[in-house]
Amino acid sequence: MSGAVTEVALEQARQRRRLWMTSGPGLFWIVLFLLIPSLVLLGIAFMSADDYGAPILPLSLQPFQQVAGFSLLGWDAGNISILLRSLQQAGIATLVSAVLSYPLVFFILSRPEPIRPLLLLFIVLPSWTNQVVRTYAWLELLGPNAPLTWVAHHLHLVAPDLGIAPGSFAVTTGLAYNYLPYMIVPLYASAEKLDWTLVEAGRDLYASGAKLFFHTVFPQTLPGLLSGVIFVAIPAFGDYVVPQLLGGDKALMIGSLIANQFTETPDWPYGAALTLIMLVVTGLGLVAFRVLSRRLGGAEEASI
Amino acid sequence: MIPRNVRRALAGFSWPIYVLLYTPLALVAWYSFAPAPHTQGLSVYAYGVMLHDHSVFAALRRSLILAIGSAIISTVLGVLLGYGLSRFRTPGAKGVLANMPSLIIYTPIIMPSLVFGISELIFFNFVHRFTGLLGAGLGTMMIAHITFQVPYVTLTVFARLAGLDQNLFDAAHDLYANGLKSFWHLIVPVVQPAIIGGFLLGITLSIDDFTISFFTAGPGSVTLPIYIYGAIARKGVTPEINAIGTLMIGAVILLAVLHFIITRHRARGAELAAKGTI
Repeated sequence: MSGAVTEVALEQARQRRRLWMTSGPGLFWIVLFLLIPSLVLLGIAFMSADDYGAPILPLSLQPFQQVAGFSLLGWDAGNISILLRSLQQAGIATLVSAVLSYPLVFFILSRPEPIRPLLLLFIVLPSWTNQVVRTYAWLELLGPNAPLTWVAHHLHLVAPDLGIAPGSFAVTTGLAYNYLPYMIVPLYASAEKLDWTLVEAGRDLYASGAKLFFHTVFPQTLPGLLSGVIFVAIPAFGDYVVPQLLGGDKALMIGSLIANQFTETPDWPYGAALTLIMLVVTGLGLVAFRVLSRRLGGAEEASI
Repeated sequence: MIPRNVRRALAGFSWPIYVLLYTPLALVAWYSFAPAPHTQGLSVYAYGVMLHDHSVFAALRRSLILAIGSAIISTVLGVLLGYGLSRFRTPGAKGVLANMPSLIIYTPIIMPSLVFGISELIFFNFVHRFTGLLGAGLGTMMIAHITFQVPYVTLTVFARLAGLDQNLFDAAHDLYANGLKSFWHLIVPVVQPAIIGGFLLGITLSIDDFTISFFTAGPGSVTLPIYIYGAIARKGVTPEINAIGTLMIGAVILLAVLHFIITRHRARGAELAAKGTI
Protein backbone atom coordinates (compact mmCIF):
# COMPACT_ATOMS: atom_id res chain seq x y z
CA MET A 1 0.00 0.00 0.00
CA SER A 2 2.64 2.51 1.10
CA GLY A 3 4.84 1.17 -1.70
CA ALA A 4 2.22 2.18 -4.24
CA VAL A 5 1.95 5.63 -2.69
CA THR A 6 5.74 6.14 -2.85
CA GLU A 7 5.65 4.91 -6.42
CA VAL A 8 3.08 7.54 -7.33
CA ALA A 9 5.01 10.27 -5.49
CA LEU A 10 8.22 9.19 -7.22
CA GLU A 11 6.52 9.22 -10.59
CA GLN A 12 5.17 12.71 -9.94
CA ALA A 13 8.60 13.95 -8.91
CA ARG A 14 10.07 12.41 -12.07
CA GLN A 15 7.42 14.12 -14.19
CA ARG A 16 8.11 17.43 -12.53
CA ARG A 17 11.86 17.06 -13.12
CA ARG A 18 11.26 16.25 -16.79
CA LEU A 19 8.94 19.23 -17.13
CA TRP A 20 11.66 21.50 -15.80
CA MET A 21 14.39 19.93 -17.92
CA THR A 22 12.40 20.40 -21.12
CA SER A 23 10.36 23.54 -20.46
CA GLY A 24 12.77 25.28 -18.10
CA PRO A 25 15.26 26.75 -20.58
CA GLY A 26 12.62 28.26 -22.87
CA LEU A 27 10.53 29.70 -20.03
CA PHE A 28 13.66 31.01 -18.30
CA TRP A 29 14.72 32.71 -21.53
CA ILE A 30 11.41 34.57 -21.93
CA VAL A 31 11.31 35.57 -18.25
CA LEU A 32 14.89 36.85 -18.27
CA PHE A 33 14.81 38.63 -21.62
CA LEU A 34 11.25 39.91 -21.75
CA LEU A 35 9.29 39.81 -18.49
CA ILE A 36 12.04 41.30 -16.34
CA PRO A 37 12.96 43.98 -18.93
CA SER A 38 9.33 45.05 -19.29
CA LEU A 39 8.99 45.32 -15.49
CA VAL A 40 12.13 47.48 -15.45
CA LEU A 41 10.56 49.69 -18.14
CA LEU A 42 7.40 50.14 -16.09
CA GLY A 43 9.47 50.91 -12.98
CA ILE A 44 11.33 53.68 -14.80
CA ALA A 45 8.00 55.44 -15.39
CA PHE A 46 8.05 56.40 -11.69
CA MET A 47 11.55 57.89 -11.64
CA SER A 48 13.02 61.32 -12.32
CA ALA A 49 15.12 62.20 -15.36
CA ASP A 50 18.63 63.66 -15.23
CA ASP A 51 19.91 66.22 -17.74
CA TYR A 52 20.53 63.50 -20.33
CA GLY A 53 17.07 61.97 -19.95
CA ALA A 54 18.38 58.94 -18.05
CA PRO A 55 16.34 57.69 -15.08
CA ILE A 56 17.53 58.68 -11.59
CA LEU A 57 16.11 58.62 -8.08
CA PRO A 58 14.05 60.02 -6.34
CA LEU A 59 10.81 58.41 -7.35
CA SER A 60 8.47 60.90 -8.96
CA LEU A 61 5.14 61.29 -10.66
CA GLN A 62 6.46 64.00 -12.93
CA PRO A 63 6.62 61.70 -16.01
CA PHE A 64 2.85 61.28 -15.78
CA GLN A 65 2.33 65.03 -15.52
CA GLN A 66 4.34 65.30 -18.73
CA VAL A 67 2.10 62.68 -20.32
CA ALA A 68 -0.98 64.69 -19.30
CA GLY A 69 0.52 67.68 -21.08
CA PHE A 70 2.00 69.75 -18.24
CA SER A 71 5.49 71.19 -18.75
CA LEU A 72 7.47 74.28 -17.82
CA LEU A 73 5.61 76.08 -20.58
CA GLY A 74 2.18 75.28 -19.12
CA TRP A 75 -0.48 72.88 -20.35
CA ASP A 76 -0.59 71.60 -23.88
CA ALA A 77 -3.23 69.40 -25.54
CA GLY A 78 -0.69 67.83 -27.93
CA ASN A 79 -0.36 64.47 -26.19
CA ILE A 80 -4.08 64.00 -25.79
CA SER A 81 -4.70 64.70 -29.45
CA ILE A 82 -1.94 62.22 -30.37
CA LEU A 83 -3.57 59.59 -28.19
CA LEU A 84 -7.00 60.27 -29.73
CA ARG A 85 -5.54 60.21 -33.23
CA SER A 86 -3.89 56.83 -32.53
CA LEU A 87 -7.19 55.40 -31.31
CA GLN A 88 -8.98 56.81 -34.34
CA GLN A 89 -6.40 55.47 -36.82
CA ALA A 90 -6.45 52.02 -35.21
CA GLY A 91 -10.26 52.06 -35.19
CA ILE A 92 -10.60 53.00 -38.86
CA ALA A 93 -7.93 50.50 -39.93
CA THR A 94 -9.77 47.76 -38.00
CA LEU A 95 -13.09 48.71 -39.57
CA VAL A 96 -11.62 48.78 -43.07
CA SER A 97 -9.99 45.38 -42.66
CA ALA A 98 -13.23 43.89 -41.25
CA VAL A 99 -15.29 45.24 -44.16
CA LEU A 100 -12.78 43.91 -46.69
CA SER A 101 -12.41 40.57 -44.94
CA TYR A 102 -16.02 39.35 -45.17
CA PRO A 103 -16.25 39.30 -48.98
CA LEU A 104 -12.70 37.95 -49.27
CA VAL A 105 -13.34 35.10 -46.84
CA PHE A 106 -16.56 34.04 -48.52
CA PHE A 107 -14.93 34.40 -51.92
CA ILE A 108 -12.28 31.88 -50.81
CA LEU A 109 -14.97 29.58 -49.39
CA SER A 110 -16.89 29.73 -52.69
CA ARG A 111 -13.89 28.28 -54.54
CA PRO A 112 -13.08 24.53 -54.84
CA GLU A 113 -11.55 23.14 -51.65
CA PRO A 114 -8.06 22.23 -52.99
CA ILE A 115 -7.21 25.80 -54.00
CA ARG A 116 -8.51 27.49 -50.84
CA PRO A 117 -5.22 27.22 -48.90
CA LEU A 118 -3.44 28.81 -51.85
CA LEU A 119 -5.92 31.72 -52.02
CA LEU A 120 -5.46 32.24 -48.29
CA LEU A 121 -1.68 32.08 -48.64
CA PHE A 122 -1.76 34.84 -51.27
CA ILE A 123 -3.53 37.12 -48.80
CA VAL A 124 -1.11 36.41 -45.98
CA LEU A 125 2.05 36.47 -48.10
CA PRO A 126 2.57 40.27 -48.30
CA SER A 127 2.57 40.45 -44.50
CA TRP A 128 5.59 38.14 -44.40
CA THR A 129 7.76 40.61 -46.27
CA ASN A 130 9.72 42.99 -44.11
CA GLN A 131 7.73 45.70 -42.27
CA VAL A 132 9.82 48.49 -43.75
CA VAL A 133 9.66 47.15 -47.31
CA ARG A 134 5.92 46.55 -47.41
CA THR A 135 5.28 49.93 -45.80
CA TYR A 136 7.58 52.09 -47.92
CA ALA A 137 6.15 50.24 -50.95
CA TRP A 138 3.00 52.33 -50.49
CA LEU A 139 5.07 55.45 -51.10
CA GLU A 140 5.33 54.21 -54.71
CA LEU A 141 1.54 54.56 -54.95
CA LEU A 142 0.76 57.38 -52.55
CA GLY A 143 3.95 59.44 -52.34
CA PRO A 144 4.55 62.77 -54.07
CA ASN A 145 4.03 62.43 -57.85
CA ALA A 146 3.01 58.76 -57.50
CA PRO A 147 0.10 57.28 -59.56
CA LEU A 148 -2.66 57.57 -56.95
CA THR A 149 -1.48 61.02 -55.89
CA TRP A 150 -1.83 62.05 -59.54
CA VAL A 151 -5.43 60.75 -59.56
CA ALA A 152 -6.17 62.52 -56.27
CA HIS A 153 -4.65 65.72 -57.67
CA HIS A 154 -7.02 65.64 -60.65
CA LEU A 155 -9.92 65.21 -58.22
CA HIS A 156 -8.59 68.37 -56.50
CA LEU A 157 -7.81 66.50 -53.29
CA VAL A 158 -4.06 67.07 -52.92
CA ALA A 159 -1.20 69.00 -54.47
CA PRO A 160 0.94 66.63 -56.58
CA ASP A 161 4.24 67.64 -54.98
CA LEU A 162 2.88 66.99 -51.47
CA GLY A 163 1.43 63.55 -52.13
CA ILE A 164 -1.26 61.56 -50.27
CA ALA A 165 1.65 60.30 -48.18
CA PRO A 166 2.75 61.68 -45.79
CA GLY A 167 -0.67 62.06 -44.21
CA SER A 168 -3.43 60.44 -42.17
CA PHE A 169 -5.04 58.68 -45.13
CA ALA A 170 -1.74 57.02 -46.02
CA VAL A 171 -1.31 55.87 -42.40
CA THR A 172 -4.79 54.30 -42.33
CA THR A 173 -4.09 52.56 -45.65
CA GLY A 174 -0.71 51.31 -44.44
CA LEU A 175 -2.16 49.99 -41.17
CA ALA A 176 -5.06 48.22 -42.90
CA TYR A 177 -2.64 46.70 -45.43
CA ASN A 178 -0.26 45.53 -42.71
CA TYR A 179 -2.86 43.91 -40.49
CA LEU A 180 -5.50 42.66 -42.95
CA PRO A 181 -4.28 39.02 -42.67
CA TYR A 182 -4.77 39.17 -38.88
CA MET A 183 -8.47 39.76 -39.55
CA ILE A 184 -8.81 37.34 -42.46
CA VAL A 185 -7.28 34.30 -40.76
CA PRO A 186 -9.53 34.10 -37.65
CA LEU A 187 -12.58 35.10 -39.68
CA TYR A 188 -11.83 32.36 -42.20
CA ALA A 189 -11.42 29.82 -39.40
CA SER A 190 -14.90 30.56 -38.06
CA ALA A 191 -16.56 30.95 -41.48
CA GLU A 192 -15.18 27.55 -42.51
CA LYS A 193 -17.30 25.93 -39.77
CA LEU A 194 -20.43 27.83 -40.77
CA ASP A 195 -23.66 25.85 -40.49
CA TRP A 196 -25.17 26.43 -43.93
CA THR A 197 -28.46 24.75 -43.03
CA LEU A 198 -29.27 27.87 -40.98
CA VAL A 199 -28.69 30.03 -44.03
CA GLU A 200 -30.90 27.72 -46.10
CA ALA A 201 -33.58 27.88 -43.42
CA GLY A 202 -33.45 31.67 -43.52
CA ARG A 203 -33.76 31.61 -47.28
CA ASP A 204 -36.74 29.27 -47.06
CA LEU A 205 -38.35 31.87 -44.81
CA TYR A 206 -37.89 34.42 -47.60
CA ALA A 207 -35.08 36.34 -45.91
CA SER A 208 -32.61 37.79 -48.37
CA GLY A 209 -29.66 40.09 -48.74
CA ALA A 210 -28.61 42.03 -45.68
CA LYS A 211 -31.30 40.49 -43.50
CA LEU A 212 -30.16 36.96 -44.33
CA PHE A 213 -26.52 37.92 -43.71
CA PHE A 214 -27.10 39.63 -40.36
CA HIS A 215 -29.40 36.92 -39.02
CA THR A 216 -27.62 33.77 -40.16
CA VAL A 217 -24.02 34.40 -41.25
CA PHE A 218 -22.96 37.25 -38.99
CA PRO A 219 -23.83 35.68 -35.59
CA GLN A 220 -22.00 32.49 -36.56
CA THR A 221 -18.83 34.29 -37.63
CA LEU A 222 -18.86 36.74 -34.73
CA PRO A 223 -16.21 34.85 -32.68
CA GLY A 224 -13.79 35.05 -35.61
CA LEU A 225 -14.56 38.71 -36.19
CA LEU A 226 -14.02 39.56 -32.52
CA SER A 227 -10.62 37.80 -32.42
CA GLY A 228 -9.74 39.61 -35.63
CA VAL A 229 -10.64 42.99 -34.14
CA ILE A 230 -8.27 42.34 -31.22
CA PHE A 231 -5.47 41.08 -33.47
CA VAL A 232 -5.72 44.17 -35.68
CA ALA A 233 -6.58 46.96 -33.26
CA ILE A 234 -3.87 46.31 -30.65
CA PRO A 235 -0.83 46.24 -32.94
CA ALA A 236 -2.26 49.02 -35.15
CA PHE A 237 -2.70 51.27 -32.10
CA GLY A 238 0.97 51.00 -31.09
CA ASP A 239 2.47 50.71 -34.56
CA TYR A 240 5.76 52.47 -35.14
CA VAL A 241 6.88 51.83 -38.72
CA VAL A 242 3.71 52.91 -40.57
CA PRO A 243 3.27 56.36 -38.99
CA GLN A 244 7.02 56.97 -39.25
CA LEU A 245 7.23 56.21 -42.97
CA LEU A 246 3.77 57.26 -44.19
CA GLY A 247 2.62 59.76 -41.57
CA GLY A 248 5.11 62.58 -41.38
CA ASP A 249 4.84 65.23 -38.69
CA LYS A 250 1.12 65.88 -39.14
CA ALA A 251 0.01 62.30 -38.46
CA LEU A 252 2.16 61.54 -35.41
CA MET A 253 0.94 58.52 -33.45
CA ILE A 254 1.68 57.40 -29.91
CA GLY A 255 4.25 54.83 -31.10
CA SER A 256 6.44 57.51 -32.65
CA LEU A 257 6.00 59.76 -29.62
CA ILE A 258 7.22 56.96 -27.33
CA ALA A 259 10.11 56.05 -29.61
CA ASN A 260 11.29 59.68 -29.72
CA GLN A 261 11.85 59.61 -25.95
CA PHE A 262 14.40 56.84 -26.43
CA THR A 263 16.10 58.02 -29.61
CA GLU A 264 16.04 61.65 -30.76
CA THR A 265 15.40 63.57 -27.54
CA PRO A 266 15.96 61.07 -24.74
CA ASP A 267 13.72 61.24 -21.69
CA TRP A 268 13.39 57.67 -20.49
CA PRO A 269 10.98 58.20 -17.56
CA TYR A 270 8.61 60.21 -19.78
CA GLY A 271 8.82 57.56 -22.51
CA ALA A 272 8.22 54.79 -19.97
CA ALA A 273 5.18 56.65 -18.58
CA LEU A 274 3.80 57.04 -22.11
CA THR A 275 4.33 53.30 -22.65
CA LEU A 276 2.50 52.52 -19.42
CA ILE A 277 -0.43 54.72 -20.49
CA MET A 278 -0.49 53.03 -23.89
CA LEU A 279 -0.61 49.61 -22.24
CA VAL A 280 -3.34 50.73 -19.85
CA VAL A 281 -5.45 52.05 -22.73
CA THR A 282 -4.88 48.77 -24.60
CA GLY A 283 -5.81 46.80 -21.48
CA LEU A 284 -8.96 48.85 -20.90
CA GLY A 285 -9.90 48.35 -24.53
CA LEU A 286 -9.45 44.60 -24.14
CA VAL A 287 -11.58 44.46 -21.00
CA ALA A 288 -14.35 46.58 -22.55
CA PHE A 289 -14.19 44.35 -25.58
CA ARG A 290 -14.42 41.17 -23.51
CA VAL A 291 -17.53 42.45 -21.76
CA LEU A 292 -19.05 43.49 -25.07
CA SER A 293 -18.28 40.19 -26.78
CA ARG A 294 -19.73 38.22 -23.86
CA ARG A 295 -22.91 40.29 -24.16
CA LEU A 296 -22.99 39.48 -27.86
CA GLY A 297 -22.45 35.82 -27.10
CA GLY A 298 -19.02 35.57 -28.68
CA ALA A 299 -17.05 32.41 -27.92
CA GLU A 300 -13.82 32.25 -25.92
CA GLU A 301 -10.62 32.26 -27.93
CA ALA A 302 -8.71 29.01 -28.08
CA SER A 303 -5.65 28.80 -25.85
CA ILE A 304 -2.94 26.39 -24.84
CA MET B 1 -24.32 26.89 -50.72
CA ILE B 2 -23.60 30.37 -52.09
CA PRO B 3 -25.91 31.40 -54.95
CA ARG B 4 -24.34 31.96 -58.33
CA ASN B 5 -24.94 35.73 -58.51
CA VAL B 6 -23.45 36.23 -55.01
CA ARG B 7 -20.43 34.16 -56.01
CA ARG B 8 -19.93 36.33 -59.03
CA ALA B 9 -20.19 39.51 -56.96
CA LEU B 10 -17.70 38.12 -54.42
CA ALA B 11 -15.24 37.29 -57.19
CA GLY B 12 -15.72 40.70 -58.79
CA PHE B 13 -14.90 42.34 -55.47
CA SER B 14 -12.07 40.04 -54.41
CA TRP B 15 -9.85 39.81 -57.48
CA PRO B 16 -9.22 43.58 -57.53
CA ILE B 17 -8.32 43.36 -53.82
CA TYR B 18 -5.80 40.63 -54.62
CA VAL B 19 -4.34 42.87 -57.30
CA LEU B 20 -4.24 45.81 -54.89
CA LEU B 21 -2.41 43.72 -52.26
CA TYR B 22 0.42 43.09 -54.70
CA THR B 23 0.49 46.44 -56.53
CA PRO B 24 2.83 48.22 -54.06
CA LEU B 25 5.21 45.25 -54.03
CA ALA B 26 5.11 45.01 -57.84
CA LEU B 27 5.88 48.74 -58.11
CA VAL B 28 8.94 48.27 -55.89
CA ALA B 29 10.16 45.64 -58.35
CA TRP B 30 9.20 47.76 -61.38
CA TYR B 31 11.06 50.86 -60.17
CA SER B 32 14.12 48.77 -59.32
CA PHE B 33 14.69 48.43 -63.09
CA ALA B 34 14.95 52.20 -63.46
CA PRO B 35 17.07 53.44 -66.39
CA ALA B 36 20.74 54.16 -65.78
CA PRO B 37 21.67 57.86 -65.58
CA HIS B 38 21.43 59.65 -68.94
CA THR B 39 19.76 56.69 -70.64
CA GLN B 40 16.25 55.48 -71.28
CA GLY B 41 14.46 52.16 -70.91
CA LEU B 42 14.64 49.47 -68.28
CA SER B 43 18.01 48.50 -66.88
CA VAL B 44 19.63 46.54 -64.08
CA TYR B 45 21.76 49.57 -63.24
CA ALA B 46 20.40 49.78 -59.66
CA TYR B 47 21.37 46.16 -59.05
CA GLY B 48 24.90 46.97 -60.22
CA VAL B 49 25.08 49.88 -57.77
CA MET B 50 23.81 47.58 -55.02
CA LEU B 51 26.40 44.89 -55.81
CA HIS B 52 29.21 47.42 -55.50
CA ASP B 53 27.96 48.75 -52.18
CA HIS B 54 29.92 47.06 -49.40
CA SER B 55 27.57 48.26 -46.66
CA VAL B 56 24.68 46.46 -48.38
CA PHE B 57 26.62 43.22 -48.39
CA ALA B 58 27.61 43.62 -44.76
CA ALA B 59 23.95 44.28 -43.88
CA LEU B 60 22.79 41.25 -45.87
CA ARG B 61 25.35 39.03 -44.15
CA ARG B 62 24.19 40.26 -40.72
CA SER B 63 20.53 39.73 -41.61
CA LEU B 64 21.24 36.16 -42.67
CA ILE B 65 23.31 35.37 -39.58
CA LEU B 66 20.60 36.89 -37.42
CA ALA B 67 17.72 35.04 -39.11
CA ILE B 68 19.33 31.61 -39.29
CA GLY B 69 21.13 31.78 -35.94
CA SER B 70 18.09 32.95 -34.00
CA ALA B 71 15.82 30.44 -35.76
CA ILE B 72 18.12 27.53 -34.85
CA ILE B 73 18.29 28.44 -31.17
CA SER B 74 14.59 29.27 -30.89
CA THR B 75 13.72 25.97 -32.58
CA VAL B 76 15.75 24.04 -29.99
CA LEU B 77 14.19 25.97 -27.09
CA GLY B 78 10.71 25.89 -28.58
CA VAL B 79 10.70 22.18 -29.40
CA LEU B 80 11.79 21.29 -25.85
CA LEU B 81 9.25 23.69 -24.38
CA GLY B 82 6.37 22.48 -26.54
CA TYR B 83 7.26 18.85 -25.84
CA GLY B 84 7.57 19.44 -22.11
CA LEU B 85 4.25 21.26 -21.84
CA SER B 86 2.35 18.68 -23.83
CA ARG B 87 3.77 15.68 -21.98
CA PHE B 88 4.74 16.49 -18.41
CA ARG B 89 2.06 18.77 -17.04
CA THR B 90 1.19 17.39 -13.65
CA PRO B 91 -2.49 16.45 -13.85
CA GLY B 92 -3.35 17.69 -10.34
CA ALA B 93 -1.82 21.16 -10.66
CA LYS B 94 -4.35 23.97 -10.94
CA GLY B 95 -4.53 27.72 -10.56
CA VAL B 96 -1.89 30.33 -11.21
CA LEU B 97 1.06 27.94 -11.10
CA ALA B 98 -0.43 25.62 -13.72
CA ASN B 99 -1.25 28.55 -16.00
CA MET B 100 2.13 30.20 -15.48
CA PRO B 101 3.82 28.57 -18.51
CA SER B 102 1.07 29.64 -20.93
CA LEU B 103 1.06 33.16 -19.47
CA ILE B 104 4.81 33.37 -20.06
CA ILE B 105 4.55 31.95 -23.56
CA TYR B 106 1.84 34.37 -24.65
CA THR B 107 3.61 37.51 -23.37
CA PRO B 108 5.94 37.93 -26.37
CA ILE B 109 3.00 37.37 -28.74
CA ILE B 110 0.64 39.94 -27.26
CA MET B 111 3.21 42.58 -26.30
CA PRO B 112 3.29 45.40 -28.90
CA SER B 113 6.66 45.20 -30.68
CA LEU B 114 7.50 48.78 -29.76
CA VAL B 115 7.16 48.02 -26.03
CA PHE B 116 9.10 44.81 -26.60
CA GLY B 117 11.95 46.65 -28.34
CA ILE B 118 12.18 49.47 -25.82
CA SER B 119 12.12 47.07 -22.85
CA GLU B 120 15.05 45.21 -24.37
CA LEU B 121 16.88 48.47 -25.14
CA ILE B 122 16.67 49.56 -21.50
CA PHE B 123 17.50 46.13 -20.12
CA PHE B 124 20.58 45.63 -22.32
CA ASN B 125 21.68 49.17 -21.55
CA PHE B 126 21.50 48.56 -17.78
CA VAL B 127 23.22 45.17 -17.99
CA HIS B 128 25.96 46.68 -20.10
CA ARG B 129 26.47 49.61 -17.77
CA PHE B 130 26.83 47.43 -14.67
CA THR B 131 28.60 44.33 -16.05
CA GLY B 132 30.13 45.35 -19.38
CA LEU B 133 28.25 42.46 -21.02
CA LEU B 134 25.57 42.60 -23.73
CA GLY B 135 26.69 45.78 -25.50
CA ALA B 136 24.20 46.67 -28.24
CA GLY B 137 25.02 44.75 -31.42
CA LEU B 138 24.24 41.58 -33.32
CA GLY B 139 24.32 39.60 -30.04
CA THR B 140 21.57 41.63 -28.38
CA MET B 141 19.52 41.53 -31.60
CA MET B 142 19.94 37.75 -31.63
CA ILE B 143 18.67 37.47 -28.04
CA ALA B 144 15.63 39.61 -28.86
CA HIS B 145 14.83 37.68 -32.03
CA ILE B 146 15.05 34.37 -30.18
CA THR B 147 12.66 35.73 -27.54
CA PHE B 148 9.89 36.57 -29.99
CA GLN B 149 10.33 33.36 -32.01
CA VAL B 150 10.25 30.82 -29.15
CA PRO B 151 6.47 31.10 -28.49
CA TYR B 152 5.58 30.50 -32.14
CA VAL B 153 7.81 27.41 -32.40
CA THR B 154 6.40 26.18 -29.08
CA LEU B 155 2.80 26.56 -30.20
CA THR B 156 3.52 24.83 -33.53
CA VAL B 157 5.09 21.85 -31.76
CA PHE B 158 2.47 21.80 -29.02
CA ALA B 159 -0.37 21.73 -31.57
CA ARG B 160 1.26 18.77 -33.30
CA LEU B 161 1.84 16.79 -30.09
CA ALA B 162 -1.54 17.58 -28.52
CA GLY B 163 -3.24 15.70 -31.36
CA LEU B 164 -1.11 12.63 -30.74
CA ASP B 165 -2.40 9.35 -29.33
CA GLN B 166 -1.19 9.04 -25.74
CA ASN B 167 -0.97 5.24 -26.22
CA LEU B 168 2.08 5.74 -28.42
CA PHE B 169 4.06 6.94 -25.41
CA ASP B 170 2.83 4.03 -23.28
CA ALA B 171 3.78 1.61 -26.05
CA ALA B 172 7.27 3.10 -26.22
CA HIS B 173 7.47 2.84 -22.43
CA ASP B 174 6.37 -0.81 -22.52
CA LEU B 175 9.12 -1.51 -25.01
CA TYR B 176 11.61 -0.23 -22.42
CA ALA B 177 12.42 2.99 -24.22
CA ASN B 178 13.71 5.48 -21.65
CA GLY B 179 12.91 9.19 -21.83
CA LEU B 180 15.76 10.15 -24.13
CA LYS B 181 15.26 7.16 -26.42
CA SER B 182 11.55 7.71 -26.84
CA PHE B 183 12.23 11.41 -27.42
CA TRP B 184 14.66 10.60 -30.21
CA HIS B 185 12.87 7.68 -31.90
CA LEU B 186 9.25 8.65 -31.34
CA ILE B 187 8.89 12.37 -30.67
CA VAL B 188 11.44 13.75 -33.12
CA PRO B 189 10.08 11.88 -36.17
CA VAL B 190 6.49 12.71 -35.24
CA VAL B 191 7.13 16.42 -34.72
CA GLN B 192 9.59 16.70 -37.59
CA PRO B 193 7.14 18.66 -39.77
CA ALA B 194 6.49 20.97 -36.83
CA ILE B 195 10.23 21.38 -36.27
CA ILE B 196 10.81 22.30 -39.93
CA GLY B 197 7.70 24.49 -39.92
CA GLY B 198 8.78 26.19 -36.69
CA PHE B 199 12.27 26.81 -38.03
CA LEU B 200 10.96 28.36 -41.26
CA LEU B 201 8.46 30.40 -39.26
CA GLY B 202 11.32 31.65 -37.07
CA ILE B 203 13.30 32.76 -40.13
CA THR B 204 10.20 34.44 -41.58
CA LEU B 205 9.50 36.31 -38.34
CA SER B 206 13.14 37.39 -38.14
CA ILE B 207 13.27 38.87 -41.64
CA ASP B 208 9.83 40.43 -41.18
CA ASP B 209 10.87 42.36 -38.08
CA PHE B 210 12.07 45.92 -38.04
CA THR B 211 10.87 47.56 -34.82
CA ILE B 212 12.53 45.19 -32.35
CA SER B 213 15.73 45.04 -34.40
CA PHE B 214 15.85 48.83 -34.57
CA PHE B 215 15.84 49.27 -30.80
CA THR B 216 18.27 46.45 -29.99
CA ALA B 217 20.82 47.20 -32.74
CA GLY B 218 24.12 48.92 -32.13
CA PRO B 219 26.03 51.24 -34.47
CA GLY B 220 27.97 48.29 -35.92
CA SER B 221 25.05 45.94 -36.50
CA VAL B 222 23.04 47.51 -39.30
CA THR B 223 20.88 44.82 -40.93
CA LEU B 224 19.07 45.17 -44.26
CA PRO B 225 15.77 46.59 -42.90
CA ILE B 226 17.65 49.11 -40.75
CA TYR B 227 19.81 50.04 -43.74
CA ILE B 228 16.71 50.62 -45.89
CA TYR B 229 14.97 52.62 -43.18
CA GLY B 230 18.00 54.85 -42.69
CA ALA B 231 18.49 55.35 -46.43
CA ILE B 232 14.84 56.36 -46.92
CA ALA B 233 15.04 58.79 -44.01
CA ARG B 234 18.18 60.38 -45.52
CA LYS B 235 17.43 60.57 -49.24
CA GLY B 236 14.03 59.00 -49.92
CA VAL B 237 13.30 55.92 -52.01
CA THR B 238 15.99 55.34 -54.66
CA PRO B 239 16.22 52.63 -57.38
CA GLU B 240 18.96 51.00 -55.30
CA ILE B 241 16.62 50.72 -52.30
CA ASN B 242 14.01 49.25 -54.63
CA ALA B 243 16.54 46.69 -55.85
CA ILE B 244 17.23 45.57 -52.26
CA GLY B 245 13.49 45.57 -51.53
CA THR B 246 12.82 43.44 -54.61
CA LEU B 247 15.36 40.84 -53.50
CA MET B 248 13.83 40.76 -50.01
CA ILE B 249 10.32 40.32 -51.38
CA GLY B 250 11.58 37.60 -53.72
CA ALA B 251 13.27 35.77 -50.85
CA VAL B 252 10.07 35.76 -48.79
CA ILE B 253 7.97 34.48 -51.69
CA LEU B 254 10.52 31.71 -52.25
CA LEU B 255 10.46 30.83 -48.54
CA ALA B 256 6.65 30.76 -48.53
CA VAL B 257 6.47 28.49 -51.56
CA LEU B 258 9.03 26.18 -49.94
CA HIS B 259 7.02 26.12 -46.71
CA PHE B 260 3.79 25.45 -48.61
CA ILE B 261 5.30 22.55 -50.56
CA ILE B 262 6.89 20.97 -47.47
CA THR B 263 3.76 21.17 -45.30
CA ARG B 264 1.64 19.94 -48.23
CA HIS B 265 3.97 17.03 -48.80
CA ARG B 266 4.12 16.15 -45.11
CA ALA B 267 0.36 16.45 -44.70
CA ARG B 268 -0.15 13.97 -47.51
CA GLY B 269 2.40 11.62 -45.89
CA ALA B 270 0.59 11.82 -42.56
CA GLU B 271 -2.74 11.15 -44.31
CA LEU B 272 -1.36 8.01 -45.94
CA ALA B 273 0.15 6.89 -42.65
CA ALA B 274 -3.20 7.35 -40.93
CA LYS B 275 -4.84 5.13 -43.53
CA GLY B 276 -2.26 2.46 -42.79
CA THR B 277 -0.55 2.66 -46.16
CA ILE B 278 2.87 3.40 -44.70
